[in-house]
Amino acid sequence: MRVRELLTPERTHYHLHGASKKRLLDQVAQLAAQGNPELGEQQVFEALIARERLGSTGIGEGIAIPHCRLASCQQPVGMLISLDEAIDFDAVDGRPVDLVFVLLVPEDNPEQHLKTLSHLAALFNEQSFRDGLRGANSASHLYRTAVDSEAELQLAS
Amino acid sequence: MKIIILGAGQVGGTLAENLAGERNDITVIDTDAERLRELSDRIDIRTVEGRGSYPSILRQAGAQDADMLIAVTSSDEVNMVACQVAYTLFRTPTKIARIRAASYLHKEKLFNNEAIPIDVIISPEQVVTDYIRRLIDLPGALQVVNFAGGRVQLVAVRAYYGGPLVGNELRELRQHMPNVDTRVAAIFRRNRAIQPEGTTIIEADDEVFFVAARNDIRAVMSELRRLEHNYKRIVIAGGGNIGFRLAKGMEHRYNVKLIERFPQRCAWLAENLHRTVVMQGLATDRDQLLKANIENADVFCALTNDDEANIMSSMLAKRLGARKVMTLINNPAYVDLVQGHDIDIAISPQQATIGNLLTHVRRGDVVSVHSLRRGAAEAIEAIAHGDSRSSKVVGRMIEDIDLPEGTTIGAIVRGEKVLIAHGDVVIEPDDHVIMFLMDRRRIADVEKLFQVGFTFF
Repeated sequence: MRVRELLTPERTHYHLHGASKKRLLDQVAQLAAQGNPELGEQQVFEALIARERLGSTGIGEGIAIPHCRLASCQQPVGMLISLDEAIDFDAVDGRPVDLVFVLLVPEDNPEQHLKTLSHLAALFNEQSFRDGLRGANSASHLYRTAVDSEAELQLAS
Repeated sequence: MKIIILGAGQVGGTLAENLAGERNDITVIDTDAERLRELSDRIDIRTVEGRGSYPSILRQAGAQDADMLIAVTSSDEVNMVACQVAYTLFRTPTKIARIRAASYLHKEKLFNNEAIPIDVIISPEQVVTDYIRRLIDLPGALQVVNFAGGRVQLVAVRAYYGGPLVGNELRELRQHMPNVDTRVAAIFRRNRAIQPEGTTIIEADDEVFFVAARNDIRAVMSELRRLEHNYKRIVIAGGGNIGFRLAKGMEHRYNVKLIERFPQRCAWLAENLHRTVVMQGLATDRDQLLKANIENADVFCALTNDDEANIMSSMLAKRLGARKVMTLINNPAYVDLVQGHDIDIAISPQQATIGNLLTHVRRGDVVSVHSLRRGAAEAIEAIAHGDSRSSKVVGRMIEDIDLPEGTTIGAIVRGEKVLIAHGDVVIEPDDHVIMFLMDRRRIADVEKLFQVGFTFF
């Protein structure tokens, strides 16, 4: 799945104050449950924390893509968050993270989710994509930039 | 990791010391400013003075951002309330509390997110009791630690002349015992670590760490030293929490005498123990030891909360003829001083307990951690997750895994099966991998090895 299918303007957050990895995931859980109450705030939080415990989803270059499977999830949900200040995320390159894409998926169809994840990683691997997002100055701008740059980039999905 | 430690006492202090060196951000809370100052003079931590169960104090200590709360004050109730506050107000992901009272411990239903939200309960007294118990059950062992629920053990022994393998190459073990599989994880010779190879020759006085299925442990030990007879007669000094639990756990299989100083406590002990002979008196008193028949004792355990008294009574017991003496020593400086001379085994409660906590601090899915050789070495059991794409270990043969220097894989536990680690064993998902690190400073590399890659769901 592509960003335009996963993301909505409501699920795009500009310059959130992350403070720490834990507090960020806490906020992610709250925001996710506001938009999709069926997900369950505590479940989202616990699942994301459990996944991070096995290995950080900070993929380097200031990017993190926290993800997890949830029984309560009906269809894949994406969230895009830019942070006002980069935070320590225990990332592979040790660098702090300022751009976060959250991916919550149902428990079935693992192959499709893996493809989505690879697509996101490839997308964020493009410097022009990251630069575009970092240049945005509002949530709606962030959303448009993500969707438009994805369309411009010729990536297999 | 951001960790808040509640209580700067012995457990909290040792823990802070162990964690501060490892890329962690530690804040210690205590009501005693003097203790905090003493601690922060020595190690790089933040401190907050106050009552750790108060929301305001926890917030001040950074509870909003903390990944873990470790509540180890001397009060069970403060520890429990702190965990509740952390869960309800700060949604702290991991909450660990020290709970001592058996009355709480027997009610498992109490501790979950719907009741008292504690993820891990630690009971130092129980851990130390079990530690001593394993040593008594395996005569001749210097240290015995369990993995995979006890299916696999790691044992440290000193090699002696007369052990069939002593003076021979390690690989001959296989010919000596074709039906027993084991892996020597490390050898310490005159306190220097040697990475064991097939051609390594075991010398007398080597301290050998080996891993084997529990049922094979004695067979392997018999290769390294003459097997000792099982112990029968145990004399315990000190009827506190540990002394009492140890006596209670052993009194049906061993002949146990317990020396306790306070008459009132003696009365309580006599009432709560069935076959143990409780004697009132001082274990540092020679006549008292003689009355306890010390010259025929197989093991003397000094378990009072007074290091000096424990050391003196142990030395006395040894001189009077006790076969083995085991001594509880809180002060780490004393441990080096006495172990191996008059005292056979010095037991540091901090070292015995610390692994329990480290288990939850280690990155990756770690099931158990044991601190060895006073914290210089470590044994760790981690679960391998993912597939050959997302994991650096799954789908690989052991010999192809890029292990950090001084690290050995000792065994794999796959479901109910114990596989001793040979080079051609291929790691499967969900395998429990038991490793020995001669140098604990390599832990970050081991953690990385077991962390799943980004594509793991």
